[in-house]
Amino acid sequence: MIVGEQKPFDEIWDMVKGFKRVLVFGCNTCVAICHAGGSKEAEILASMIRIKAAEEQVEMEVKHAGIERHCEPEFFEPLMEEVKTYDLVLSTACGVGVNFLSERIGNIPVYPGINTEFFGAVPQAGVFTELCAGCGNCILHLTGGICPVARCSKSLMNGPCGGTNKGKCEISQEVDCGWFLIVERMKQLGTLEKLYEIQPPRNWACGTHGGPRRVVLEHIKDLEDENVKKES
Amino acid sequence: MDKLAETATPEPRSSIEKPREIPEGWEPNILAFACHYCAFAAADLAGVMRLSYPSNVKVIRLPCTGKLDHIYVLRAFERGVDGVFAAG
Repeated sequence: MIVGEQKPFDEIWDMVKGFKRVLVFGCNTCVAICHAGGSKEAEILASMIRIKAAEEQVEMEVKHAGIERHCEPEFFEPLMEEVKTYDLVLSTACGVGVNFLSERIGNIPVYPGINTEFFGAVPQAGVFTELCAGCGNCILHLTGGICPVARCSKSLMNGPCGGTNKGKCEISQEVDCGWFLIVERMKQLGTLEKLYEIQPPRNWACGTHGGPRRVVLEHIKDLEDENVKKES
Repeated sequence: MDKLAETATPEPRSSIEKPREIPEGWEPNILAFACHYCAFAAADLAGVMRLSYPSNVKVIRLPCTGKLDHIYVLRAFERGVDGVFAAG
């Protein structure tokens, strides 16, 4: 899932203080699980903004709402008419949600209430860890199911480097060495010899270095296009 | 966020509420959230024993203080309550 953290309140206040009618708009999927931007967090943030506005004697109407997903258009439909009555939408969805709503909302600005951080897992309640970098060219079959792109601080393809220290990375004693984990895991799987094969330089164009990415499933898209044509 | 990123984050600017002058005779409005099974029962018992408590404290019974949500506290402050007391 996508992991994010709420922005510092002062930054949020600087963003919203010039607007009269503000909607804090939550997303109840990924960012609700990481307690950053679901309906509950949107309600709390709206209340904090109202309290701050009262303290600063700024006249402002702040409401909150939430939908299941900000990344698919059908979820917006029941609320879109109301959303368009505000001067500002402070979205607590991930960056995808902010972009997606911005493109659909007309002349109303959509600002981010959270910092979107990474694709993560939840090893224990309240802890979120980055395990995949979404690089577009998966090599987990070569590295024992542990990703060197996401979990090695240098994203090395042939590791570990000289900075590995008793299983920790040289950047911090709190960061595991990704390549140490890979070697240990491959020992356990009995596939250590695979690591003797030198990996060639990667094609980073499959990742964000190749510009914005897009996946199109022709068989579904064509069907949708046909339906739209029929309807019109 | 990791340690490195944390140390790079600047100190938060806003402080707690600005200090104000307290008018004479002012009494805070206190809202007490009490658990049905312990604190509220204790308050009930106090009532049976004819003990009194100040009238500026209003008690709200919760099925458990685990039901107390952030938003209850914030709503109380938004509506002018000066202090919240959770007992359970």
